[in-house]
Amino acid sequence: MIEKTAHAVERRFTSKLHDERTAALLGMGLGITFTICFVTGLWSHLVQTPPSWFSRPPRPAGLYRVTQGLHIATGIAMIPILLAKLWVVYPKLFAWPPFKSAAVAVERLALLPLIGGGLFLAFSGLANVNLWYPWPFGFKEAHYWAAWITIGALIVHVGAKWTVTRSHVARRVPPDAGSGDRRAFLGTVAAAVSVVTVATVGQTVGPLRKLALLAPRRPDVGPQGFPVNRTARAARVTVEDGGATYRLTVTGRVARELSFSRAELTGMDLHQARLPIACVQGWSASANWRGVRVRDLLAMAGAAEGASVRIVSLQESGAFRSSVLQPDETRDGDTLLALEVNGEPLHIDHGYPLRLIGPNRPGVLQTKWVTGLVVE
Amino acid sequence: MNSDHGARFRIALVIGGAVMAYGIWGVLDDARATHPGSLFVYVVGADLVHDLVIAPVVCIVGWLLTRVVPEPWRSPARAAVLISAIAVVVGWPSLRGYGRARVPDNASVQPLDYSTALGTVLAVVWLGTAVWATVRVTRRRSNEDAGNA
Repeated sequence: MIEKTAHAVERRFTSKLHDERTAALLGMGLGITFTICFVTGLWSHLVQTPPSWFSRPPRPAGLYRVTQGLHIATGIAMIPILLAKLWVVYPKLFAWPPFKSAAVAVERLALLPLIGGGLFLAFSGLANVNLWYPWPFGFKEAHYWAAWITIGALIVHVGAKWTVTRSHVARRVPPDAGSGDRRAFLGTVAAAVSVVTVATVGQTVGPLRKLALLAPRRPDVGPQGFPVNRTARAARVTVEDGGATYRLTVTGRVARELSFSRAELTGMDLHQARLPIACVQGWSASANWRGVRVRDLLAMAGAAEGASVRIVSLQESGAFRSSVLQPDETRDGDTLLALEVNGEPLHIDHGYPLRLIGPNRPGVLQTKWVTGLVVE
Repeated sequence: MNSDHGARFRIALVIGGAVMAYGIWGVLDDARATHPGSLFVYVVGADLVHDLVIAPVVCIVGWLLTRVVPEPWRSPARAAVLISAIAVVVGWPSLRGYGRARVPDNASVQPLDYSTALGTVLAVVWLGTAVWATVRVTRRRSNEDAGNA
């Protein structure tokens, strides 16, 4: 009964596009895009939660902007390729008998985490860049660990399909009668990739910002001309917090503890740097920042050269209420506690009275509303 | 299936299996954040939603297009529908304003009028495929004319 139905369904797929060559070419595209996403994703995880053996490099200053922009752009570009590939191989779902041998059974079993994982990563990633969380788990952790499971399943799949894919990609198998249809189909997939890329990549590639019609962010829209991730209201910080009672303190392993009002900071030797804010969600924007160099404050406090420093926010809760500057970052002359952006005092949503801005740090580590430096 | 189940597959199985095991360990080890049960439902659910809903719908739409639209219009029509569907998928959260609803005080999240934005993208897609279709039809006619001459 099931066998009959399966055969009947399988015979209904009459399109010549449900073939090995189309699957091989799309599979190649998926292998490349998935690898780019995995590597850039691991990199992002590494710089956001550096293990003890890893020191985040402050240079090049725009590296994270490029790797994370690539992660999101590649993830979006992968959506049409993934769906096209699944449509091409869909008839195989009805292959009967389902498990001809133990090897086939193992290979097909690995498709469950591969396809489910691939779709989950694409969906959860797209939802996350839109600040949309229709699930109970933490996005970062679920997306990260699902990526490991999926890449493992991909390795198994590539092992099974390497020979057949190579023979098609290297054109050792001659093109057949269906090649005209295939060209039109693959051309359509390429066009879909182009459309969604052009309509979103302007969230990080400035000159294309006007074309970013499907992106959840525009790099030129927000207070003072660039976006905000967490607003002051969400963080429960008010303008009064930056007023007369405000102090920046430098404490921890220092020779002398320091404390400054905002006016005292404004009167100090200020340094200017042009640095990007690069969000994990794929948007980025460059701005001109002006403020006090962290290394100057540390020198005044008599901290050891090349110390790690914890930057503490006025924000009372949340995972990003503090962040750590590693030694290479505190040494960098562009690592600032900024008072101004683009010639104006910081907007409260950009971290007034004082925010951290350092080269090559993910946006969530550019701590806002800074009130304390704790030397470690 | 035309798969290779030789030595390469066995090596890939060992490596890939180990990587998958690491991922599963990570999910279970960080259970408070990953909610293994519901994550499992989402991953397997993605499989099921694709196999039982998305793929059948795509096949039916494709089949209808084949019946309704004759060649040489068929490939451009298929392209227009497929690219439009992808654009809608990518633009859907913005169109529905899901992110903005979560952070209503953050005007920099989903700042555009996304019905107009998505409409513009779709207009460009259909215009582009219309040009392609016209080129195809014209070329085919001139080929036929050349054949008749």
